[in-house]
Amino acid sequence: MLIQLNSQQAKLKDELREYFKGLITPELKTELNNPEHFEGGGPEFKKAMLTMGADGWIGLSWKKEFGGKELSPIEQYIFVETVMRTGFPFPFLTTESVGPMIAEYGSDWAKEEIATKILQGKLIFGIGYSEPNSGTDLASLQTKAIKEKDGYLINGQKMWTSLANFSDYIWLAARTDFEAKNHKGISMFIVPTNDPGFSLTAINTLGDVRTNATFYENIKVPDSHLVGEINQGWSLITSQLNLERLALVNHGPVEELYKNVLELAQNTKIGNDQSLTDLSWVKQNFAQIHSGIEALKLICWKQTWIMESDQLNMAEASVAKVYGSEFFIEAYRLLMEIMGELSILKNDSELKILNARLERMYRTASILTFGGGTNEVQRDIIAMAGLFMPRSR
Amino acid sequence: MDFSELSHQQEIRESLNKIFSEKCSPEKLKNFDNEFKHDENLYEFLATNGYLGLGINEKLSGSGEDLYDLGILFECLGFHAAPLCLTGCLVDVAQTLQKFSKNDNHQSIVSSITKGEIYTSAILEPLNHDPENPTTTAVFDDDKIIISGTKYLSEISSLAKGILISASSNKGVILALVKTDNVKLTQLTSTANSPLFKVELKNVSIEESDVVHEEGRGLEALKYLLQINMVMRSYIALGVTNKMTSLIASYTSEREQFGRVIGTFQAVSHRAADCFIELECLRLVNQQASTNLNTNLDCENDALVSKIWAGNACHKISYSAQHLHGGAGVDRDYVLWRYCLLAKECELINGSASQNIERLGLNITANQ
Repeated sequence: MLIQLNSQQAKLKDELREYFKGLITPELKTELNNPEHFEGGGPEFKKAMLTMGADGWIGLSWKKEFGGKELSPIEQYIFVETVMRTGFPFPFLTTESVGPMIAEYGSDWAKEEIATKILQGKLIFGIGYSEPNSGTDLASLQTKAIKEKDGYLINGQKMWTSLANFSDYIWLAARTDFEAKNHKGISMFIVPTNDPGFSLTAINTLGDVRTNATFYENIKVPDSHLVGEINQGWSLITSQLNLERLALVNHGPVEELYKNVLELAQNTKIGNDQSLTDLSWVKQNFAQIHSGIEALKLICWKQTWIMESDQLNMAEASVAKVYGSEFFIEAYRLLMEIMGELSILKNDSELKILNARLERMYRTASILTFGGGTNEVQRDIIAMAGLFMPRSR
Repeated sequence: MDFSELSHQQEIRESLNKIFSEKCSPEKLKNFDNEFKHDENLYEFLATNGYLGLGINEKLSGSGEDLYDLGILFECLGFHAAPLCLTGCLVDVAQTLQKFSKNDNHQSIVSSITKGEIYTSAILEPLNHDPENPTTTAVFDDDKIIISGTKYLSEISSLAKGILISASSNKGVILALVKTDNVKLTQLTSTANSPLFKVELKNVSIEESDVVHEEGRGLEALKYLLQINMVMRSYIALGVTNKMTSLIASYTSEREQFGRVIGTFQAVSHRAADCFIELECLRLVNQQASTNLNTNLDCENDALVSKIWAGNACHKISYSAQHLHGGAGVDRDYVLWRYCLLAKECELINGSASQNIERLGLNITANQ
């Protein structure tokens, strides 16, 4: 048992830190401060993605046939962690969860055209799972894909399709067998957003994160756009979600924010030659966050280490999701308490701190407790798969 | 990075679980509920079969210095509520002497411990929340050292040949061995019926050779002792909370109300799932702390984090287990109650969660 990064991995982290200093240009920063481009999609964002792809960073752990470097998932995690620390809206769902599924289960066309280009930073996916009447009960989804000669005809509506406003494709779950029990009749498709039958409307959220309702009207896709076997989509969904859950709770961004607030608090004078960090309750808040981050880091490292040898274990992926998402909310609260009222000043305000990141982060925090599979379902999974308890009802 | 147990570690875990399942059955544990809680036969069995040499160098008759091996022993002791208190002997004395003493006599003490000789420590003092600054004093007087003070929560002291004491002197903190015969022992009765003692030292005279570290390294040795003690107590906590969580899972999967097993109620299964999460976090922070201590004698923040998680997990999981069992949980004919008492002991001794949070906060904000 050895629970630390080895010297090459530590070096990789330093190398990446330096790399991103060059990549995140002032122009890119300005673009990312524009609410319209919070999640990426602008020209500078696209340029940075292509550069990262060309420099070989996106697919560190991917197979060489896709252009990867065949390093371990730990190196891949370090890359994602470091890029997320910079605040760059890295499309990790595309690269860390959908991409690997396509690389493994996609048709020859999908492997060559899609997986390879994801690694080159050329393609972005939105995820088409939820529907107006199918959220937590995902297997009840109603979007249809009807088999026709040489392909499938797709009709339906999806909700919360984040990034769809600048995605190239949707990773879409559709019903292909209408007789079979709910989860047994679902298949996965790669659906191009440039099809005339595709449309969307924006949904603006509490955290200024834009998401979308997406509509699919008589979209015809060839057979090569089916991923995996017909009617076997559910296992792809659950595998993808396990990968997604790990990617969602990466410990990098929250640790970066913690360090930034710590440095700020150490340098914030509150009179009588005292710093904010001289106050005992401030110390305690930092210690609470520190001990929480340590656990999160170790959960993520262990999951990543498991990926080297094995499939992700369901109970542990759910532990990561529940613990991480609930810890983020707590951590933002404790950090905001430390900086007090200054934390609620917005980015265009005088006296704002840390580019008002705290003011924005707390507004986005709730998404993760219900997104990616609501935490109630995750706890059901933990009780069943981790403690071997009976299914709850 | 490697989270797996080596094959010899898996073997240790399997054999210990087998040994303790047989020797710490509820029937056998009952014998110690109202008696001096130290199972001599079990202790001898562990000594004869090499388990008291875990974490100790081969040259000193041990099986290697990997602290994770030692962690497995403490986790298994906790999981089976074994009637043995071994942190004073195997952790405080054996590890500190092994790491800090250059004295042959001390090295042979470590070796004798692996064979079943008992030593213990007396570090904590009533109402002193800063064990790095003992109120017990040591005065250097020619070639003698005179020690006075009061210690408590010293384990199985009446059986120990010698006691490792911390004291403040004009040369800084020292750690030294005193003969048990030269101190006054009073047995305390405490919540988990562990054999804990008050140790009074009145002008106890020792030789300089009884100091277990080189001159000037006393504080370093004491800090190491406190850290490794925290981590090994957290391993006991891991075993205790793991057992309580598995009791929750099995009990709620069988107990029926309203015509169904209560584990099918989400309110019940979710509270169990929260215990599982807490347990998983505790396991990981313990593993990090113990493996980091293998290569670095000062890992204070890692040790604090593991003891903070241990304190919180002991508290939360104990009350979840009692609650989800209903009356069965508090019935002394069922097994849970012993674990609840042990949980409180693990939670509080050598730093509660709140106390350690304060210490950790101090370290972090001081740029450590």
